[in-house]
Amino acid sequence: MNPVLLLGRRNLASSRLRVGLTGLAVMAGVAFVVASFVLSDGLRATFNQIVEDVSADIDATVRATGDFAEVTFQAQTIDEGVLDIVSAVDSVEEALPALTSSKIVPIDGNGEAIETLGPPILAANQQDSPTSAVMLEEGELPDGPGEFAIDFTSAGTYGFEISQSYDIVGVEGREPFTLVGTTRFGEDNALAGAVLMTFTLDEVQRLDGNDGKINSIDVTAESGVSPDELIADLEAALPAGLEAVGSDVIVDEGQEDFGATVDIFGNVLLAFALVSVFVSTFIIANTFNILLGQRIRQLALIRALGASRRQVLLAALLEAFIVGVIASVIGLAVGVGLAYGLRAIMNSFGFNLPGLELVISARTIMTALAVGIGVSLASALTPSRRAARVPPVAAMREGYRYGSGEGTRRTIIAIILAVPGVTGIAVSLFGSIDSTPLLLLLLGGGAVLVFISVTMFAPLFSTPSARFLGAPLERLPWLGITGHMARENSSSDNKRTARTAAGLMIGLALIAMATVVASSLKDSYRSTLGSTLTADFLISPPNGGTGFSTELVDAVAALPELDPVSSTRLGNIRVNGNEHDVRATDLALLTNLWDLEVISGDPATNAGPDVVSIHESVANDLNLAVGDELDIEFAATGTKTFTVNAIYENAFLISNYLIDKSAWDQNFSLNEDISIVASVAEGVEIEAAASALDELNAAFPQLNFETGAEYSDRLEGQLDSLVIVINVFLGLAILIAFLGIANTMALSVLERTREIGLMRAVGMTRRQTRAMIRWEAAVVSLFGALLGVVVGLVFGWVAVQAIAIDQFAIPVSSLVLYVLVATLAGLIAASFPARRASRLNVLDAIHQL
Amino acid sequence: MAGFAGITTEQDSGPQAAGTMAATATRLTKLYGEGNTQVVALDAVDIGFEAGKLTAIMGPSGSGKSTLLHCVAGLDSVTDGEVRVGDTLISDLSDQELTLLRRDRMGFIFQAFNLVPNLTAEENILLPLLLGGREPDPEWQKRVIDSLGLDERLHHRPDELSGGQQQRVAVARALMSRPAIIYADEPTGNLDTNSGQEVLGFLRRAVDDWGQTVVMVTHDPGAASHADLVVFLRDGQLVGRLEKPTPDLVLDRIRALEA
Ligand SMILES: Nc1ncnc2c1ncn2[C@@H]1O[C@H](COP(=O)(O)OP(=O)(O)OP(=O)(O)O)[C@@H](O)[C@H]1O
Ligand SMILES: [Mg+2]
Repeated sequence: MNPVLLLGRRNLASSRLRVGLTGLAVMAGVAFVVASFVLSDGLRATFNQIVEDVSADIDATVRATGDFAEVTFQAQTIDEGVLDIVSAVDSVEEALPALTSSKIVPIDGNGEAIETLGPPILAANQQDSPTSAVMLEEGELPDGPGEFAIDFTSAGTYGFEISQSYDIVGVEGREPFTLVGTTRFGEDNALAGAVLMTFTLDEVQRLDGNDGKINSIDVTAESGVSPDELIADLEAALPAGLEAVGSDVIVDEGQEDFGATVDIFGNVLLAFALVSVFVSTFIIANTFNILLGQRIRQLALIRALGASRRQVLLAALLEAFIVGVIASVIGLAVGVGLAYGLRAIMNSFGFNLPGLELVISARTIMTALAVGIGVSLASALTPSRRAARVPPVAAMREGYRYGSGEGTRRTIIAIILAVPGVTGIAVSLFGSIDSTPLLLLLLGGGAVLVFISVTMFAPLFSTPSARFLGAPLERLPWLGITGHMARENSSSDNKRTARTAAGLMIGLALIAMATVVASSLKDSYRSTLGSTLTADFLISPPNGGTGFSTELVDAVAALPELDPVSSTRLGNIRVNGNEHDVRATDLALLTNLWDLEVISGDPATNAGPDVVSIHESVANDLNLAVGDELDIEFAATGTKTFTVNAIYENAFLISNYLIDKSAWDQNFSLNEDISIVASVAEGVEIEAAASALDELNAAFPQLNFETGAEYSDRLEGQLDSLVIVINVFLGLAILIAFLGIANTMALSVLERTREIGLMRAVGMTRRQTRAMIRWEAAVVSLFGALLGVVVGLVFGWVAVQAIAIDQFAIPVSSLVLYVLVATLAGLIAASFPARRASRLNVLDAIHQL
Repeated sequence: MAGFAGITTEQDSGPQAAGTMAATATRLTKLYGEGNTQVVALDAVDIGFEAGKLTAIMGPSGSGKSTLLHCVAGLDSVTDGEVRVGDTLISDLSDQELTLLRRDRMGFIFQAFNLVPNLTAEENILLPLLLGGREPDPEWQKRVIDSLGLDERLHHRPDELSGGQQQRVAVARALMSRPAIIYADEPTGNLDTNSGQEVLGFLRRAVDDWGQTVVMVTHDPGAASHADLVVFLRDGQLVGRLEKPTPDLVLDRIRALEA
């Protein structure tokens, strides 16, 4: 065997612990990547199966055609009468109407309207047929007024019991219903956190305010009729505006819908996984550097004995390759476990993900190997080349400083990397790039380059920084000389300090950025809402989603304590062939409730069915001024001509197009409000108005009746939860960073064995030894965390500019907390190496030469 | 004090030990390994190191010199027998107690790698005191540093000092806490003759001027001749002693023992 390769293998064998620690970082990165694949592949397979199961017994579906929806979040409806047309077709065996509503909310046993973490609360008509996807679990299916059933998972989660009475809130307000049974959706009741209630069709229509309407008709064919024949027969019978599609189309659409959701979820996970991989790259590079550095004598000796540089390089890379292979294989296995673990964690948060089908695709295996081996080799390349440059004379000379040298070259490379990095980020954020993959590539690639560049710059200031940060250690009376040594050790090797801190720097930079963006968003939101909303109260559905009865606004307006009062509706229109949101409201009242910052005209002018107010961006794009005409196309009624009566600057929380409710009534079939704004009448105390509203709130408990400040508070709370979720996912990368710190400390303990032995011999106690190592790690962690926060602030500022948030808020207390926690965690991460150091056999340590 | 043996050997052990002993070992036995790979490094050695004297330990390689030094310094555990430093029986002490004993009552000079690289010469000198949180006595500090000629080098790191300077720093460190006893294992082994002589001179002066107790392992008859007393080890046993040694006498004795 080639002696150099032999040496590589022996080295691996003799430093199993060190290599193991290195491999752990690679393994963790690989595992996270694998988990994101296994989870999304598994979910996709499961959902695909569910979609197929649900449509298995149906041959065709009849529904409205239509190339754009009337209202964004609402499936189109058709007349119930179509059912007769369909049933009359000869080849039809059974035709079942289907209607789903998201406006119906149950009140639980404690009198609270139930709320999910985001998945919808759905109400459907219970189809009385063996082909129905909603099957009886326990009790009975609803078959009369005042009866409903709920899926058994939700029944368990929200504590619903069969044959008890519960209030149900529909568009008209709340009324009592009896829970007659629990149901199951498909085999697994795989609703992923959604709540599914069923009623009779009449009840759903009534509660949804959609009398005589359904979404679609599920059709089965007479035996002997092929689906194609059925569809042809149906198409022949259906009036214009309706279509019949096969179950394959429905399955495809359903799988595409789910697939898109799963893809987003999988890609988000993958993004976090890649952050972990990136962090682990730094750790591995650092470890290889130290490992090879400890072997200079040996490297120089084999060079002196005739090994070529190439051989030394190959031996070092071989070592990395073997580490990569082993770590990938283990990471693959751990990743599969992690996928199931993540699913369990998410389910414990209430996501109710269905059982995972175990899919380990070739792509997963290839990626695991590519990531594991690639990361190992890439991060070993520089250290290995440095090792190959060790001159043979270093074997003889004491004090050859490994890897020391041209700081200028490193700085130049850092600058060279920073330029395309910054450019990439700038172009992706401020440029006009339409392709999402390209944008993400530029953004991610840019960030990666910037992080590498910062890490390369860091040695320029890591020594003075660590000395500065460690200064307080000198003053801690109980540390004494130990504190001094910790400070010296943390700052003595500028490159090692920089590299050890790098992983933490990246993790904290991302966390700090998320926090800064979120709090800027919050501040901006609060102040914009404060200046925009001149009304005192806002009534809105949870999660911004579902509409409610248009009678509520009349009830509010009838209260003498409130005046003026208006509501808004949200729908879709087409202008010049492009779809846009439109809001309908009482244009005559609007400026009393909402500060639009009107530039010209007045929304109240000629308020009626043929005027529109537009945002200045629309006015600029379409070159419109007040008094000009604008053609607007509606799904239900086609194109109408409107006159622009106002142009406004502030579209905060409203659309770029505003029409009057009278125009809505003429052009939309849907009749529901999405929010109500109301001011306190003159001379009325705000408390009096609030208590007047309380009674209405009791009738519509699913709606939020809030003051502007309460509304901001709630949205801020939601944003905070999002930041927590992001931080949890970044937490894994940070965990890897601490693994790196522990690893580096363990290696430097090994490196400093003699020194530690010497100090133990002349009287350093075990406790002092531990303290020295721990505080050294704390100083390095503090440096990494602070550097990360600085980088994160810069990134955050850039992001705030890019998404045009008008405030830049630095959440000082959160950031300070993060830095303190990181420092403390560094201290703790070093516990294991610290214990090892304190247990060193003094004699062995001294004798090691 | 003349007339009192600096050491006690098996033959003349007994109640005669009158000169104050800085450290004593009684029937000190040290075994390494087990079964047929077992090595008897020290075989029931009885020895005492008289206070205020410089004692040299000599013997062929592998005879147990370092082992003896480590055992009486509390750096290594003993297999059998007793070791006392002053009145303290150290075989019973915990690691923590031993560490404090070393820190406060012993000084060490090793053959190489004596100094902590990240500390300056001065910090290295004060290390045991600082570890104990004690304030150095400035007058004593100045005397030690002056006499070792280190005042120019105090703020240098070890890698900026020559081998001889490094050993002088180690000597200064050992003297700084005025320990009951200083242990030196081949302190001049890595030095050229001149630097070696210098270091030995300092140790000698420390004994003569300040009454310091020093125990030194050495291979070099010249170095041994600075001692008040030389003891000889072979195969883990004490095989002889020589008072008022000169290089020639030491050489003769070594030859005699090897014969
Ligand atoms: N840790 C150990 N394990 C096993 N045997 C040991 C160990 N340390 C020392 N020995 C053995 O004990 C004996 C005495 O060793 P010691 O180091 O005391 O000798 P020495 O007189 O100091 O030799 P030298 O002059 O070469 O330094 C030797 O035979 C040595 O091989
Ligand atoms: Mg020895």
